[in-house]
Amino acid sequence: MSILFYIGALLIVIGALCDFFGALGLLRFPNFYVRLHAATVGIIGGAAVPLFGVALLALGADFLPHRYAIAGASFITGIIVLLASPAGSHALAYAAHRAKLVEWEPKVDHLGEVRKSD
Amino acid sequence: MRGKSLITAVIILTFAALMTYAVISLQVFGEGTGVRPLGEFYLENSYFGDYSAKSPEVITSILWDYRGIDTLFETAVFFLAIIGSLTVFRLTKEQEKEVKKAESTPTELTPIVKDVTKVIVVMILAVSASIALHGHLTPGGGFQGGSALAVAPLLIIAAYSKYTLEGHGLDKTRALILRSIGLLGIALVALVPLLSGGFIMQNQPIFPAEIESQLIGGSLIYYNFFEFLAVGVGFTAVFLLLSIPEEKFKKILGVKK
Repeated sequence: MSILFYIGALLIVIGALCDFFGALGLLRFPNFYVRLHAATVGIIGGAAVPLFGVALLALGADFLPHRYAIAGASFITGIIVLLASPAGSHALAYAAHRAKLVEWEPKVDHLGEVRKSD
Repeated sequence: MRGKSLITAVIILTFAALMTYAVISLQVFGEGTGVRPLGEFYLENSYFGDYSAKSPEVITSILWDYRGIDTLFETAVFFLAIIGSLTVFRLTKEQEKEVKKAESTPTELTPIVKDVTKVIVVMILAVSASIALHGHLTPGGGFQGGSALAVAPLLIIAAYSKYTLEGHGLDKTRALILRSIGLLGIALVALVPLLSGGFIMQNQPIFPAEIESQLIGGSLIYYNFFEFLAVGVGFTAVFLLLSIPEEKFKKILGVKK
């Protein structure tokens, strides 16, 4: 087995861990914004990273038919997820903030401090 | 609370056990893993046999050739649903104008979302066209491609605004015209074989199976293309109607607060 196999498998394992911690955070975190953060960890770490891993695995597997097609499709899908998911969670957070739907009690508010000192 | 979850768990477990019993001992899904005679007919004939639809994609062959009339009426149901929603939202000319007038500053999302939307919309257009036009070769087809296409205007409405979409030329009237073109195309492709002595919705008699050694599966690609067009813009028309701000409708209907 080539080095590509090991890197790809490692990325998939990282993806599984990210998915697990993302789900855990989604259930246990206290408010909307941090839960959104956990969900994004689950998407980027748990979907984009394993897709890159699958691409590497497919490239390394000589016996696989159409391996370049599989690798290319996984890679492109990973890029799309990498592009769309942060924009999506950004839009969600922005909408929630604009509509003042979420009770917001910051422990640390650097932006507020800068605004105050101006 | 605890008792309720216990009852739910018992019901789910009982159901699962019964289903497993049914599948294993009563053989509700037939015997073994073999292919049944009807499935065998489709598998043998969709590409190779005497009644061939010249498409390696068996499902598309069944949908638009062997059971074409069925699909035609399914499509009719979808279009009746669209017509129904258009009727619910029908407006006079002055009201249309009022609805189309943009607010002074239509609400848009942040530059991050808008820029990503630009890239994603182009990708969606490409992928949906690929789903629809490869419908006779790979899983997918007109309806699926059209549904994917409809996501693009939906994203634009969400990230920019309905007025941006209309300002760039895709308003309700144009969507309806495109949808009618799609419907007309499906009807024509279905009826044209009658002229040369074929049957209605017949695949092979006049539509070529290959063009310059590219397999196009007779009439399947035309059906897929027109269905793609009709479903995509049909959904777009409904989305445009749904995204009319509530205040404007309240004004038009004369609802007092």
